[in-house]
Amino acid sequence: MSQVLSNFVRALRAQDVRVSISESVDAGRVAELVGFADRQVLKDALSQVLAKTDEEKFAFDDCFDQFFAFDQFKPPKPASNENDAQDQQAPEDGSGTGEEGEEDDGEGGESEGSGQPSDSGSAPGSGGSGSDDREGAAENSAAPPDRDLTALLENGDDVELQGQLAAAGREVGADRIRLFTQRGLFTRRIMEAMGLDGLNETINQEQRSGSSAGEARAENLRELREAFRLEVRDYVERQLELYTANAGRQLREEVLSKINISNVDRRDFKLMQALVRKMAKRLLALNSRRKKKSRRGQLDVRRTIRQNIEYDGLMFDIAWKQTKVDRPKVVAICDVSGSVAQYATFLLMFLYSLTEVLPKVRAFAFSNQLGEVTDLFAEKKIDAAIAEALSVHGGGSTDYGRAFEDFEAIALDDIDHRTTVLILGDARSNFGDPRADILDKVHDRAKRVLWLNPEGKTLWNTGDSEMKRLSPHCDKAVVCSSLNDLERIVSEILRTAV
Amino acid sequence: MTAPRVEITDIQDGFAKEGYICNAHIATAIFLARNLDKPILVEGPPGVGKTELAKATSEYLNLELIRLQCYEGLDEAKALYEWKYGKQLLYTQVLKEKLGDLMEGAQGLAASMERLHEFDDTFFSEEFLEPRALLKSLWSENGSVLLIDEIDKSDDEFEAFLLELLSEYQITVPELGTIKAKSSPIVFLTSNNTREIGDALKRRCIHLYIPFPDADLETRIITSRVPEVEEGLRKQLISFVQNLRELELKKVPAVSETIDWARTLVLLHAKELDSDMVRNTLNVLLKFQDDIDNIDGDINALTTKARAAAE
Repeated sequence: MSQVLSNFVRALRAQDVRVSISESVDAGRVAELVGFADRQVLKDALSQVLAKTDEEKFAFDDCFDQFFAFDQFKPPKPASNENDAQDQQAPEDGSGTGEEGEEDDGEGGESEGSGQPSDSGSAPGSGGSGSDDREGAAENSAAPPDRDLTALLENGDDVELQGQLAAAGREVGADRIRLFTQRGLFTRRIMEAMGLDGLNETINQEQRSGSSAGEARAENLRELREAFRLEVRDYVERQLELYTANAGRQLREEVLSKINISNVDRRDFKLMQALVRKMAKRLLALNSRRKKKSRRGQLDVRRTIRQNIEYDGLMFDIAWKQTKVDRPKVVAICDVSGSVAQYATFLLMFLYSLTEVLPKVRAFAFSNQLGEVTDLFAEKKIDAAIAEALSVHGGGSTDYGRAFEDFEAIALDDIDHRTTVLILGDARSNFGDPRADILDKVHDRAKRVLWLNPEGKTLWNTGDSEMKRLSPHCDKAVVCSSLNDLERIVSEILRTAV
Repeated sequence: MTAPRVEITDIQDGFAKEGYICNAHIATAIFLARNLDKPILVEGPPGVGKTELAKATSEYLNLELIRLQCYEGLDEAKALYEWKYGKQLLYTQVLKEKLGDLMEGAQGLAASMERLHEFDDTFFSEEFLEPRALLKSLWSENGSVLLIDEIDKSDDEFEAFLLELLSEYQITVPELGTIKAKSSPIVFLTSNNTREIGDALKRRCIHLYIPFPDADLETRIITSRVPEVEEGLRKQLISFVQNLRELELKKVPAVSETIDWARTLVLLHAKELDSDMVRNTLNVLLKFQDDIDNIDGDINALTTKARAAAE
């Protein structure tokens, strides 16, 4: 049973549920405690030791239902009807069928032995010697069920068939399926492990026997075999879904967070948005509390005296001065003009997430005129807010000089020594005066000014880019073209804020 | 061994007797905690009965409830133990006066030191230890229910400090060595999710998420907590609250608010909901003026819906 559990844990991990080793040990103890008999109790209990956040609980519910789905195995109705008919016919044939059945068994066994080379011949695509070994082992241990496949199908014993299918799946390692294209291979392997050869032999013999009953039985068996093949295929597909459902997405997320934002396809926007949110949430989790920094060595006289009144004024318990690390005040200015149209959506998306993470963010957007979007972000959902910000402020030709003038009028007074000013933009000002003097004023007042430029460093100062004139007035000017860059920069802002 | 299902139902019934109505999911957590000897981390929105769960457990199992309220700046001196400095000082004074008598007959420094050393250990013994919540629960003879409330409000350092207690049921006091629990307590940690709890802590706990109850469970809770409220009104108010939770609100009403509202309505001798009554008592359910203003227009529709649902 522990094999089942460890497979389940692997399936959970594939669904983004983080399960540590000690948790899977707990799961083992839980399973021992509550047993597998009561599904609901098992589900409740396992979910409490394995899934530890909201999202994980959802993923767990799905995964549990999928993994322990036993009712999927219903042979198609017509087949079982014919099966019944066949059963009724069988007594007419009397003992003959039985004898034939026994003969089949023997031959099935032989053909299995001789069939092995061809099997390994058909397998080279998938997995080197390891999988061949496994297959060999599987065939050895699968010998007993091998004899039963014909009978199993004819009896229509669902429960038994289903159990054997699961067993065969484990033996051939169906849980290791990784690629969509491996479905056929694994389907065949499972069927072989369950005794496909024996079944084929039986069908051939019946066919050759010439009697009408034999032909009918062969026909029926062929149909059953086809139905069964579909079921095995279903089973394999479920395994694929279970263990690799998220692998593709994870890969895509990884790629998306690394590549340049301008290269992201429109169809990936949704995913990107989720990623940005995830990032914001992670940053929030890391920085959600005010931190304190003890300055050991500087005595806090007032607190020390107060603390020690109860000891008769004897200085027992000494308190040191502390500084509170506040969450930073951020003012973000975002260029949404035509030249950064590709980036604008993401910059706004990021700005929006930033307002969710940090309590004191004022956000501004501009192309030639600058306007505050803080309230807009607070009121509307991300999609609507970004669309509106773009339609109101975006699209025009950039004029940094004008935008800085506006900024000076609106917000310069609110900038103090605790404020971090973030400027997101490419500094392409259409050859207008970028008003570096205003930026200098901002720089004087603010704690620091950071410039995040989506363009690569080689493009700075080419054409109408004014980085050369603007960057001296920034504490730092960095390239920020992918999500990973963004995350690094923001976490730095948060960490070093005092 | 009885089947787990039976035991879980027993726990549910036992809780019901204490006035705490819960579903099988919650009872399963209690069952696991007792059998696996693991703490339970209870998360969920405010007011769904996280703290009540610990109280009910202590009553159901007849164990002492020891409560530790977490807050920013809570440290081990307040949570675990403190030396009784005053008493230590007093004893030092006494010792000073008696010093002459003690030293009588001691030859040389070495002998005097030896005599003094005899007192050293007394000063840092359990005699002078002021146990706080955590130590109390470890010392309790028959086991106890330890409730560490709102762990998310405490600092990271305190969370880390709890790890030893939660996994081994022991704590280390430098002067005394390791103190082991006489019998392992049942530990509840509650969190409102104001910040993410560390993975290390989560890993050591059974994780129980209590969501808002569904209509059925909420009905049972109200029946048990506010038996005075008549059936018709009960159905109406529960349907009203359930619908209210679907709306976009700053703070969604929780079970505790439903109970308060039910009590309010009983106090006002209400027989059934009408829009005016709802409007007047809405501040019991909703705690933000913004929310109250926002749903003002929907009250009629909500009330009608609630009355229709009750029939």
